[in-house]
Amino acid sequence: MNAEVVILGRRISMAHQSRRRALVVILYAALAILMVVLFVSTGWRGTGGFVIWAAIFACRFFLGGYYSGGLVKPFNGKAPKQHVMPPSLLALKLRVYQAVPAGDDSAWRSDERELHQRDHAHYLAFQAIGAVICVPMLIASMRLIRPSLMSWIPMPPDAMYYGLTLVALILFLTLPQAILLWTEPDMEEENQEE
Amino acid sequence: MNDNDVQPPGESGLYNRIAVLRAERGISRQSLADGVGVNYQTIGFLERGDYGPSLKLAFQIAEYFDLPVEAIFSTRPLKPLSQQVYASSKSPEMGKP
Repeated sequence: MNAEVVILGRRISMAHQSRRRALVVILYAALAILMVVLFVSTGWRGTGGFVIWAAIFACRFFLGGYYSGGLVKPFNGKAPKQHVMPPSLLALKLRVYQAVPAGDDSAWRSDERELHQRDHAHYLAFQAIGAVICVPMLIASMRLIRPSLMSWIPMPPDAMYYGLTLVALILFLTLPQAILLWTEPDMEEENQEE
Repeated sequence: MNDNDVQPPGESGLYNRIAVLRAERGISRQSLADGVGVNYQTIGFLERGDYGPSLKLAFQIAEYFDLPVEAIFSTRPLKPLSQQVYASSKSPEMGKP
């Protein structure tokens, strides 16, 4: 796991667990607010994909896991490809772009403890995503058996199932990294010896 | 750090002498981590007993310190090195092939 994240060109230390937890809370709160705003304004008609893009953006620049940026090393344990294309305008504007250093790829590889942590985080995320997927199944079952019991839900069924699927997809993209950031204890400085 | 700093096992259930050996030889966590091919944070987890190494990593650490693996890791509490060395030197069996 990397110890710092770049936001607006500033390197911010994430060595402390409390900071990483705060980042996770902020990112999920932002995604939740975005979902609510898009639902209220458009009913997710044509805009639900924006939430997915926001989750990908969060992974790309803050959470990591799939890309060169972010705190969690790439899950596949491989160094990211060198960019032949220039960074996106958005990344440059927000000054979150980090160039991938050439040569030594050891910084991208996870060691055996990190791989163990990665696998455990995916196991936990798998349970959580399974639980989320159960919700639309249960609601749909109730609608089929006793439609009157589900009449209190203030949302068209399609929008509700779409929203729950969107939540499951966001969790699929972000939850393993969030679990890693949440559970990893304070990181010691390289020169901090006991 | 002294010989009594043999770490109790954390979550791993393994006792180890990595911190003692590192201090004795003046090796930083980063050097040891580079030597055995892991992140320096992992050395901290190993020293605290919060992570049990794979057999491969345990042998790599043993090779790094040029010691048998059982001198570094144990499932039972390890005696302080000075006590163990002194007891061995007093033993009449010591030094026999």
